[in-house]
This record gives sequence, C-alpha cells and structure tokens, in this order.
Amino acid sequence: MATAGATEAAPTRLRSSMFGARLGEAAWGYGFALVPFAVFGIFFIYPFIYAVYISFFHWGILGKQPGASGTYNYAKVLHDPVFHTALKNIAEYTVAVVPLEMALGLLLALLINGKIRGRNFFRAGFYFPSIASSVAITVIILYFFSPTGPFNTFFGFSTDWFGNASTVGWSIVGLNAWTTSGTVMIFYLAALQSISNDVYEAAALDGASAWRTFWKITFPLLRPAHFFCLVVFGIGALKLFDQSFIVSGGTGGPNYATTTPILYIYQQAFKTFDFGVASAAGVVFLGIILVLTVAQWFTIGRQEAS
Amino acid sequence: MTKRLAVVLGLLVAVVALAATAQAGLRAHKVTNITVAGWSSGPDEDALVQQMVNKFNATHSSVHASWTVINGDYGAAMTARFAARNAPDVFYVDSSVIGSWEKQGVIQPLNSFVKKSHYNTKAFYPKLLGAFKKGSTIYGFPKDWSPLATEVNNNLFGRAGIKSAPRTWAQLRSDAKTMVQKGVSKHPICLSADWARMGAFMYQNGGSLTKNLTSGANAAAVNFYVGLLKSGLAYTPPAGSWCGQELGQGHAAIIFEGNWLLPYMKSTYPNVHFGIRPMVKGKQNGNLAFTVSWSMAKSSSNKPAAWTLLSWLTGKQGEKLWMSKGLALSPRSDVKSIGGRGPFLAAAPFAHGWGFGNPNFASAYTVMGNDLNAVISGSKTTKQMLSDVSNALKGH
Repeated sequence: MATAGATEAAPTRLRSSMFGARLGEAAWGYGFALVPFAVFGIFFIYPFIYAVYISFFHWGILGKQPGASGTYNYAKVLHDPVFHTALKNIAEYTVAVVPLEMALGLLLALLINGKIRGRNFFRAGFYFPSIASSVAITVIILYFFSPTGPFNTFFGFSTDWFGNASTVGWSIVGLNAWTTSGTVMIFYLAALQSISNDVYEAAALDGASAWRTFWKITFPLLRPAHFFCLVVFGIGALKLFDQSFIVSGGTGGPNYATTTPILYIYQQAFKTFDFGVASAAGVVFLGIILVLTVAQWFTIGRQEAS
Repeated sequence: MTKRLAVVLGLLVAVVALAATAQAGLRAHKVTNITVAGWSSGPDEDALVQQMVNKFNATHSSVHASWTVINGDYGAAMTARFAARNAPDVFYVDSSVIGSWEKQGVIQPLNSFVKKSHYNTKAFYPKLLGAFKKGSTIYGFPKDWSPLATEVNNNLFGRAGIKSAPRTWAQLRSDAKTMVQKGVSKHPICLSADWARMGAFMYQNGGSLTKNLTSGANAAAVNFYVGLLKSGLAYTPPAGSWCGQELGQGHAAIIFEGNWLLPYMKSTYPNVHFGIRPMVKGKQNGNLAFTVSWSMAKSSSNKPAAWTLLSWLTGKQGEKLWMSKGLALSPRSDVKSIGGRGPFLAAAPFAHGWGFGNPNFASAYTVMGNDLNAVISGSKTTKQMLSDVSNALKGH
C-alpha cells in the first residue's frame, strides 16, 4: 500500500512542480511585458482616453471652461470646411505617396539585393534620407527647388515648387517618397532574402526571363511585405505633419494646400487654444484611420494571414 | 562659583544673541529666485538679455533672476508650461498673441503693481502700450518694437536713374514701371502674401483692421496690393525665402520690412547698399507696429519679485541697455534708439500694434494668409477674403 501510495504521489508532485514552474515562467513573462505595457498605458492609452473626455468639453490651456459641451466640438469639426480640405489633401497625398514609396523602395531593394560592387555603400546611401532629420532635409530641399535654386537653374524652369498651391502637394509627395523609400527598402530587402533560392533555380531551369521571374515569382511572394508596407506606410502618410508645417510656416498654406488633419489639430490646440475641438478632430481622424485599416485587413490582410 | 556661573551664562547669552543676529541677517538677505524666458533671434540677443539679467542681479540683492531661451515653437512650448502651471515668472509675449493668452487667463494684470510702485507708464508710446492693454488693464510693457519702412536697393535704383525711394503709392507704381521698362528688374517689388505687410496699406488707404473690415477702403487697398502682384510689378518671395533675402540677393529693388532687416543685412549681405525711407503713404500715413512685451505669469508664486525685474527691464535703465546694440527700437520716448532709425521712429505716433489685442487673432492669422494666397491666385475674391477674416477675428 505504502508503495502504491508513493507511486500515486509521484505524478501529483510532478504535476504540482510543473504547474509551479509554468506559473513562475508565466510570472516572469508577464513581469517583462508589464513594463512596456505600463509605458504604453501611460503614454498612449491614458492620453487617448483623456483626449476622448476632453473632446466633449470646451477646454482651454488651463482646463475645462464654461461654454459649449456635449457633441458641439464634433459638430464644429465635421462642419468645418478647413477640416474637409485637410481630409481631401491627405487622401490625395496618401493615394499618391504610398505606391510611390513602395515602388521606389522595392526598386532599391532589388538593386542592392543583387551582387553589385559597393553594396553596403549603396544600402547606407539609400537609407540615409530615412534617418536624417526631416526638418533639415526639408529646408535643404526648399532651397534646392526654389525658383532660383539648382533644380530650376539646371532644367531652365522658374517654378516655385513649394510656394505654389498647385505644385506644393506634389512636391511634398516627391520629397517624402524619396526620404521614406530607404525604410521601405529595408523591409523589402528582408522579404527578398527570405525567398528560397530553389524557386529561382527552378525558374531558371524552365528558361524564365528575369522580367517574367520578377512578376511571376518575386512579386507574388512579396505579398506579406506589400501588405505590411501598405498598412504601416499608409498610416504614416495619413499622419503627415512636419513637411506641411515647415513648408507653410504652420499655416497650412498656400491657400490651405498643405493643411493636413494633424496640422489642423495642431492649429486648433496651439493657435486657437481650443483643445476640445482639437481632441474631437483627433478622435474623428482616429476613427477614419481605424476604418481604413479594418478595410485593408478584410480586403488584403485576411488572405495573407490564411 | 558665582563668577564661573556668570561667565557661562554670559557665553550662553552671547551665543543666543549671535544666532539670533545671524538668523535676522539671513531673513534680511533672503533671495527670491525667479525665472525669465523668451525666444532668441540669435546669439547677440541671447547675450544681451543675459547681460541685462546679470546687471539686474548685481544691483538687486533680494531677487535672483535666471534667463532661459526657449528654442523652437515658442507658443507651443509656453502653452505646455502654462498648462503644467510652471510658466516662467517673466517672459516675452508677442503682441499678436497677447489677446488670446489674456483670454486664457495665463497673463497677470499689472495695474496693481504699477499703482503701488508709481511706475511711470507715460514714457511709453501710447499705441505700443495699447497693444498690451485690454481696456485700461495692462498685461505687459513693450520691450521693443518696429514698424515697417521702405527699403530700396541703391544699385538697382541708380541703374534705373531714380534718385530717391518712393514716398507714395503712385511713386511706388511708377518707379517699378520705370525699372521694368529700363530692364533693370523684371519684378522690382517684393511683397509677401501676408497681412502683416498688406495691413499697413489698408491703414494708409483710410481703412482699419479693427473696425469694419469689409469696408470699401480696405477692399481698395487689397486690390492695390494684389494688383501690384498680378501686374507683375511685384512678386511674392519663394518658399523658404523672405523679402530681406530677396533684397540682399539683388532680386528685389523695393521691399517693406522692419528694423530686423538691418542686423540681417549687416551679417548676411554686408556689401549690398540699401536705403531706408519711411513707409510709403496712400491717402494718409499708415503702419503696423510689431512689438513684444515683458509680461508676468498669472501662476507666478513670486509676483513682487517678478514685478521688480519686469519694471527694471522695461524701465529707463533696462531699456537703455537693451537699445545699446541696435537690435530693436525703444518703446519709450525717453530712451533713444541707436542712430539711423529715423525712418522707423517716424511711425511711432500712428503705427497700430499688430494683433490689436484680439483674442482670436492668432487663429485668424491662418485664415488671413491662406485667403490672401487664394485672392492672389484668383480662386477667391477680395470681398470673400475680407468677410472670412472678419468672421475669423470674431471667433466664428
């Protein structure tokens, strides 16, 4: 009996010690996750909830002020023609810049993925605009594309690319496509290097041309990277602020051509001191980004996941 | 024994007396620390403010001020400090934002301090002090100011055979035409798409930025200003440039800028010869005064000490020191500005403080710039712009 008892007790002890080990492991895991989660909670979740709260009040520099409350701020934002212009501008910008960034990034990745001389030099060179200060780059580009700057002098133009309402949007598209393409290149490069050589060898044996290999093998196998870039750089494009601010001096001009939703939020908060309206605009814009991301997930992302 | 006790007691009394004296001395020399902040247009301004603060500290044993430069977006940085209730005790305020900051309740009214210390406010040019007043309440004292003047490139004027800078609208147009006809310049006048320049023309035409903005006088002034641009006699500076730079590079022959142009030209284009004349006039003289005050935070816990500093900085002694480098013009009639500033100082009696104490001015300024661009490009009419700006100034 005693022997039987001992044999019954052994698995129980084993189970209990395994449970303890798992619990300990889980505790360590949660412990490590707690720190970044706390940071995320303090700097993202709490301000977000607070911004939603503020959006229902008339809120100035020193806090809640008497006056309109409820959904007034939302009505004001939704009926403001400047906010409509900001949405139109950012939609046009995003539709133009994201494919351009992805195409440029993919092209650069393909170039430096091959066995070319000075590959590391080119990698660093292409990536440099992504890590350089956007303010410094914008200021240099403003000079470069000024009516008497090197670009116009070389091509014989006299256009004020960043000072004209009809060209400034496209100029910012070009500027950001160039500066962001280095980061896109890194993601595509990682994805390119994860494609097995076997498929390329098989294609070569079948006599496929480089062009056909790219369109039939490389491009389709990069689909997860396409989706990733589309979501990440799409959201990044929607948050355009620096270049609009620098080019227009914070006004969103000329003629509201560089007004973006984030610049609108900045103006409402730091020029008008109407933090309620700024928060309402932030919540509305978050809703728009959320809807777009969910739509992207249902159209492309789910297929990738499956 | 008695003698020994007396000695001990005597020593004890001496120690207590010494301690009490030391304590009283400490109390008498208690130093109040205050913070002072502003932006800096460059190392010269930074060094000069530091020099002034050092001089103040050396002459005021009970107050110690520390100067901090706020780099970057001054308005946003100060907004964050106001919200956190840790604003500097004394700081710069541009006249264009004083109205909105006052409305937000972050600026300390100074009347009680003025009254208590018998501070002489009459030495300030009334229009400049008026830029920081709401009714009779004073929210800051101007530290300096500048109106606009007409600046011309002497070389281009000489080549066109024009002897003096234009004094009227008619001369401005005819001089520019002469320059175009003689091939001296394609677009002789540089005009920013900015109400901070066009506003002066509105006052020159008998209009106003505070009353009846949609008046015929204002509309005619806008049409004159935009007309110069549309006719090709004038051009707007390209993105990233300004009219001062255009004058220095020889692209513009006539510009309208303030005193800030002088140190810029001296440091950036020392070989360009240019003349300064009072601002052109239309039906009457009209100008804008760009001015900055020293103001006090409402949340300051050291208000008497802050007032001691503020009144010294804007007083006769402080202003004399501030004017010594010629970085700006004196807002006080009893302190002389550096020589050669006559064309600017002539505007003191009639220049209107930019911002006009309007609490909605900072946000309305965004509408002004964007709408003026739209009028220049032809996508909006003058009437629409004046109506938009009028509504924005009313906070609609």
